[in-house]
Amino acid sequence: MGFDQFVAERLDRLLAYATAITCDKHLAQDIVQNVLMRAQGKWERIGAMDAPYLYVKRMVTNDYLSWRHRRAAREIAVERSELAKHVPSAADPADAHAEREAMRARIAVLPRKQRAALVMRFYEDCSDAEIASVLGCAESTVRSQLSRALQTLRAHEIARSATMGVHS
Amino acid sequence: MNDLIRSAIAAEADQRVDSRTVMAELHKRKKARKPFGLIVGVATLTVAAAAAAVIIPTAVRKTDASPAIAPAPAATGQNVLLLGLDDFNHADAIVFAHFGEDGTVSAVSLPRDVAARGEKLNGLFLENPWSLTGAVEELTGQKVDHYAAVKMSEFGRISQAVGGVEVCLSAPAKDKFSGTDLPAGKQTVQGDQAIAFLRQRHGLENGDLDRVKRQQAFLTSLASKITKENAPRLAQEISKSIQVDPSFDVLEFAKRFQGPVTIKSATLPVGEAKATSNGQAFIVDPKDAKEFVGKQFEGGQPAQFGCVR
Repeated sequence: MGFDQFVAERLDRLLAYATAITCDKHLAQDIVQNVLMRAQGKWERIGAMDAPYLYVKRMVTNDYLSWRHRRAAREIAVERSELAKHVPSAADPADAHAEREAMRARIAVLPRKQRAALVMRFYEDCSDAEIASVLGCAESTVRSQLSRALQTLRAHEIARSATMGVHS
Repeated sequence: MNDLIRSAIAAEADQRVDSRTVMAELHKRKKARKPFGLIVGVATLTVAAAAAAVIIPTAVRKTDASPAIAPAPAATGQNVLLLGLDDFNHADAIVFAHFGEDGTVSAVSLPRDVAARGEKLNGLFLENPWSLTGAVEELTGQKVDHYAAVKMSEFGRISQAVGGVEVCLSAPAKDKFSGTDLPAGKQTVQGDQAIAFLRQRHGLENGDLDRVKRQQAFLTSLASKITKENAPRLAQEISKSIQVDPSFDVLEFAKRFQGPVTIKSATLPVGEAKATSNGQAFIVDPKDAKEFVGKQFEGGQPAQFGCVR
């Protein structure tokens, strides 16, 4: 597959993935642009692989997880947790929109690697093995990252419904 | 709850920018690219930024036609950590080098699988460069004054710029992971095969440890290929892709080294391999490591490379 064809077919999906893991569309754009520029330089090799998308996704993920973006990631998380305070906690539980926004905020403050694993599982429907190859870790690590993320999200969920129980 | 997570992530992903904007930006940058910036299309690689710190001083010295520029005063030795990064910024080649006042370079290769801070050395740089330099200081007892990192994939271009680098293999090497396909004996490698030579660790008796030997042989041979004619181009190639710590003035550093550069290299001896969360890692006795590195930085053996595996 040629580089231009790859970009035409996969760019939107890459941007969606990067936006979901970074929780910031501008950071996602920067990362995807830079990674694609780098990938283009070695496309002869990447294009010949069985799964170029997986490889480029790995480059995007590693770039985000690297120290260079640590501060940006922390700032985004802080901003998101501030915003989350304004999501009405006593919202009508039937309000699907409010509920989803609250979940979005909770996902945004998870540790970076846990969120990347979560996005790959729930948005890209990846197997443990695929996630492991992208994150460069063992499958058992993927499972523990995922279960920790779910545990955190579940704990919040319980606290939230309990609060709402009192109000209703 | 899973459905809720799914829809929350989808809502997040929906915030993405329009791909047409990004497409236009990519197109613009592509045009702005200098033809010189074409990266040799290879490699998840291995070797070293190493050469960078070795080559730049040599290159500067050889281009410096007028001896009018006085060397920087009071040059004291400096310890520089040289890193060769793969495409994912893992430090696959780690060389800790002492640049002496007399122009000697004493280098110790630190195998990337050495256990440090509950991980392996090669993953620490990705986490944070200072996490790696800190771990190296703890391990060797020597201060790290600066670090310099180069993508291993750059060595294809670098080797081409000097018209190939002579290496010698004790047996033919063929490996599908790195794309290595080289006969036994003395030969000149460049481009893709230079990268493959530096990158191969599968199919070698001692894996990464044999690869470290190859890196050392390659860099020593590369340093000897530098001439007044190719030095400017080399320096240009390397300075484009080198990543150094913010306080490292490479050119100023390079001026300190006059006269011929002799490289002495050795590999840090490692102990038993132990299982960690990131696979097998080598255990190193801290006392032995400090003694070994201290001795090597004080003197050490000049590099003598016959054929490597």
